[in-house]
Amino acid sequence: MNKKRITPLEATNSVKKSIVKRRSKDNRLKLYGRIAIGLAVCFLLFLFYSIFTKGFPGFFQYYVTLDINFDRERIDPKGDLSDNSLFDGEASKIVNESLFSIIEPKGRKAKKQAKKIVSSGKDVRIAKMVKNDPSLFGTITKVKFALDDDIDSFLRGYIKRETPESERRVSDKVIGFVDKLNQDGRITYEFSDYILKGSASGNPEMAGIKGAFIGSMLTLSVCLLISFPLGVATAVYLEEIAKKNRITEFIEVNINNLAAVPSVVFGIMGLAIFISIFGMPRSIPLVGGMVLALMTLPTIIISSRAAIRAVPPSVRDAAYGIGASKLQVIFHHVIPLAMPGMLTGTIIGMAQALGETAPLLMIGMVAFIVDIPNSVMDPGTVLPVQIFMWADFAERMFIQKTSAAIIVLLGFLISMNALAVYLRKKLERRW
Amino acid sequence: MVNIKDDFKDLDLTVGDVFSKDARLKARNVNVFYGINKAINNVTIDIGNKEVISFIGPSGCGKSTFLRCFNRMNDTIDSCRIEGKITLEDENIYDDKIDVVPLRARIGMVFQKPNPFPKSIYDNVAYGPRIHGLSENKEHLDNIVEESLKRAGLWEEVNDRLLSPGTGLSGGQQQRLCIARAIAVSPEVILMDEPCSALDPIATAKIEELIHELGNEYSIVIVTHSMQQAARVSKRTAYFHLGKLIEVGKTKEIFTRPRHNQTEAYISGKIG
Repeated sequence: MNKKRITPLEATNSVKKSIVKRRSKDNRLKLYGRIAIGLAVCFLLFLFYSIFTKGFPGFFQYYVTLDINFDRERIDPKGDLSDNSLFDGEASKIVNESLFSIIEPKGRKAKKQAKKIVSSGKDVRIAKMVKNDPSLFGTITKVKFALDDDIDSFLRGYIKRETPESERRVSDKVIGFVDKLNQDGRITYEFSDYILKGSASGNPEMAGIKGAFIGSMLTLSVCLLISFPLGVATAVYLEEIAKKNRITEFIEVNINNLAAVPSVVFGIMGLAIFISIFGMPRSIPLVGGMVLALMTLPTIIISSRAAIRAVPPSVRDAAYGIGASKLQVIFHHVIPLAMPGMLTGTIIGMAQALGETAPLLMIGMVAFIVDIPNSVMDPGTVLPVQIFMWADFAERMFIQKTSAAIIVLLGFLISMNALAVYLRKKLERRW
Repeated sequence: MVNIKDDFKDLDLTVGDVFSKDARLKARNVNVFYGINKAINNVTIDIGNKEVISFIGPSGCGKSTFLRCFNRMNDTIDSCRIEGKITLEDENIYDDKIDVVPLRARIGMVFQKPNPFPKSIYDNVAYGPRIHGLSENKEHLDNIVEESLKRAGLWEEVNDRLLSPGTGLSGGQQQRLCIARAIAVSPEVILMDEPCSALDPIATAKIEELIHELGNEYSIVIVTHSMQQAARVSKRTAYFHLGKLIEVGKTKEIFTRPRHNQTEAYISGKIG
């Protein structure tokens, strides 16, 4: 063993020698950190760029303006504006006549192809218009109709003229018709009134996210109403009331494990318990919310416990010292002080639940549902599942719709996180 | 009622007069365990009516633990177990029938670190009366708050900002706020656990003055590390060492003529 004492001079020299090495190590670490952050930012920017460039066109679509003769006898044969009467009317025929008068198709085949230029939702549109405003009857009014998705894709340039006709979804004849409409200035590119107001549809030009959005809201409300009180109550019990022993330790370990269980497992459990045993209907937001509540509970419990543990013990001592009961200590002091942390955890859990697809597929929320759910007992779907379904469809136009729906979902998520930050700031200000 | 003089053993452990003629709190053969560690070993002592008594001793001698037995604050620690008997006005506070809520209203406590609630000054003082239902109406509550703050010597300094946060006050003011909070529920005894250890000398002087005044109305038990403080504020002093009560006596006598050699070693600075 070298027992020689190091003189101060030697020490200074060796420190000097090593300092260059240490500095460069520090600098390298800094550089690595910057590279990592730079990469992360690049990926994020790329992600946003691709979503927004693809997604924004999804909010718009091509419309054709036609002059419609609102002939009451033909549109509303019974004259009572009932759904039945409007269904019996000839709204589609009127639209087609107006269209034919412009593009003048010759022969049965040409007419059949020409009909398809305008989306099949034309009669519903007219029915809606006259219901809102019966004074339209007897007038000739310009009405905008969505173009069929193939025409839309052609106008966007996804279907090319150069492609041989046999491999193209739009025939030469139809292209001729569209050109004619274009020359007349009747085709416009506008903000879509289907994407935000419509619900699921097999016709991409009429598909919208309203149904899924409302389904998401209903599902999340159920999830919040179940998981927040349960989670907070569990956290308070485990932290403030329960004695620390084997049983509470066992529960604690299990809660931590549950947080790591794949979400699809919760879906299978929901299917087995809520649907098979309790016999609840499939595809309803109530069951979806319950399944998601089970999934978010561990997150809420863990973050609430952390928030409760962060409440200084001196506050508890002060309250106990003056004679507050356990309940008073919890409700007057611990919960108010832990609330910002609890809320943050809850909103993170909700954001997680909002983006969840797999467990909802298990309980049938993937069904094709055109009606917009009015209550938690109506079948419905949610945004991520809608995105998942649209991404699966073959029509070209669904690509843009999918990206648009992703933008809406992201917007929803960002606003939820903003709410979390706001609530935390606001509640923390109460010293 | 059992005759208290027959009710304990091993008097030879403690030197001095542990009894008081006009006793309010009586501790008899109290043992405190943390798990298997014995923190307090067979302590017997009386706390007199309207008496200021100080507990002194080296760190870890168990004086704070013993203090917290009087209002059962040790109940909040799971591993803590207490044997023996403590009576308040001849009522065993460790009896199963006793509820700690009214007990703690009768025996107030001031902690080492000032710990006002993160609420307004008014709410801090009004909290006790509110939860115990002491006030009949808003006006009465206002009176209690004002009276308590006056008695704690804080009224002059805060009467224009009762609604500002209690945590915004200086350390000394916060500690006086905690004292006001404790006396707002009109307790019989106030326990003080090193109330000045986090304060500067000026704030300490104010608190000591306050303790002196409050000693005319309440029984006060004060745990302190400062022998000078014990000498200044208390009439009686108890010296603890390693969980045992070594010596009790008049403060003057303890500091001038200690009878036990350990007490002497401590006050002369040889141990501690």
